[in-house]
Amino acid sequence: MHEDLNQKISQFLDNELDQDEALSILQKIQLQPDLKDKINRYEAISHVLKTDVFLYPSSDFSAKINQQILQEPYYLLPRSHPFTENKLFKHSNKILVVAASIAVVAIITAQGVNYSDNKIKTSSTVQLAQTQAIEQVSKPSAYRYGNEPSSVNARINDYLQAHNSSVYTNGEVNFRPFARVSAYSQE
Amino acid sequence: MMVGKNFFLVLFFSITTVSAGNTDLKSGNVSEGKRILLNMSKAMKSLNYQGTVVFLRNGKLETMKYFHAANNNTEQERLVSLNSPLREIIRDANKVSCHFKTTKQIVVDYRPFASSFLLDIPKNIDDLGGAYRFDLVGEENIAMQLADVIAIQPKDNFRYIRKIWVEKKYFLPLKVVIYDFSGLPLEQVVFTELEVKDSLPFVNIKSLDKASSAENKQSEQSANATWLESPAQPAFVVNELPFGFQEVFFTRSPVHNSDQLVDHMVLSDGFSSVSVYMENKNASMQSGLQSIGAVNSFSRAIGDFELTVMGEVPATTVKFIAEGIKLRGRSN
Repeated sequence: MHEDLNQKISQFLDNELDQDEALSILQKIQLQPDLKDKINRYEAISHVLKTDVFLYPSSDFSAKINQQILQEPYYLLPRSHPFTENKLFKHSNKILVVAASIAVVAIITAQGVNYSDNKIKTSSTVQLAQTQAIEQVSKPSAYRYGNEPSSVNARINDYLQAHNSSVYTNGEVNFRPFARVSAYSQE
Repeated sequence: MMVGKNFFLVLFFSITTVSAGNTDLKSGNVSEGKRILLNMSKAMKSLNYQGTVVFLRNGKLETMKYFHAANNNTEQERLVSLNSPLREIIRDANKVSCHFKTTKQIVVDYRPFASSFLLDIPKNIDDLGGAYRFDLVGEENIAMQLADVIAIQPKDNFRYIRKIWVEKKYFLPLKVVIYDFSGLPLEQVVFTELEVKDSLPFVNIKSLDKASSAENKQSEQSANATWLESPAQPAFVVNELPFGFQEVFFTRSPVHNSDQLVDHMVLSDGFSSVSVYMENKNASMQSGLQSIGAVNSFSRAIGDFELTVMGEVPATTVKFIAEGIKLRGRSN
């Protein structure tokens, strides 16, 4: 029986036992400390025979490793998904992100419409009439107030300068006086 | 049954009383708003005050020192720019002089239809009851001074809404905003600090640059001559005007960099002003609507002339006025 057990240990180290026999021998090793020492010795002999290098670990080497593993904290993190699942997850994420973006844009647009609607609703009827009236007029094109290359806007610019005093408060330099009067000091 | 009748009677009288109270409150606010504006109009003319004012117009921001001197019914407004181009602008009655400090150029201008760099205020606010409501809508601090907020609400669709923040002690305007129909500000004039003085000096533009005084004298005389030589009537007739608008000024003078004469009429309701220009038509002229900030313009051909109506009013207003203008002595 004893020789038979030694034989089994040797086969276990050479990976020659089937799963049931391997589990059985491991259970016996756990229960009998002398068997654990024996398997350590056999393992060292096998290593020397295979590699010509002798490394002698302390008897409690594997016990310490085992102890260290048991002391490792257990992280309650989700398990990483296999590659295919991960890929699917990312793909679904992309769809969700696009859907969420569209939803956000839709909400903002709707709120913008509601906001302007609310403003009109809270305004007086006069303002409402004004809004309706202004919509009937085609939208005017904007023109700049500064130096204009276009003769059309230059004409409008001249009119604007003659119309009000804003020419004095907007930093214009080359404006024409309304009454066409100018003087330059000669130094 | 009797209990039900009593209930409805009490309910009816309660509603009537509350409505009457609201009406009184509202009319009280309106008359209070008008009273504050009248006080402001007087204060703007009679007090000596100075401060720092920010103009936000046509997307441009300009910060300037502002001075208003008053003495024996004579006023002088003065603006000094804090940023380039450095310049000082002086308004004496209808004469506006601008002195550019770097180039030493002086530009003299005559604007008999405007009375303030800050805002236009009608001479008789009571006459504008048919065009505007003047509501006291609250109190706010501007430049660390408590101010009444007056909303000038138009009663038709021909003008913009304005708000004026009037300082409570001296009734001086601290902030003026013109809003478009969506409630967005189109133009703003805001004081960042303002103080009232016992007196402020009147500044002579010539004293700013003595070297140019001789030339100025001649230039001013020719300016007066140009202005006074204008015909009494424009070549066009304005047939339709929004309520409250009336002609305040007309001249025929060169406006562009040429001797081309342009008829220029200014119409105003006291708060909003509109200019009508007419000159000989040429191929480069473009008809239609254009806008910048609070200013809209509408141009169209009329006979051999090009007509443009422009002002701080909605696009509908300039179009309405332009379409009602005809050449003088013609049926169309």
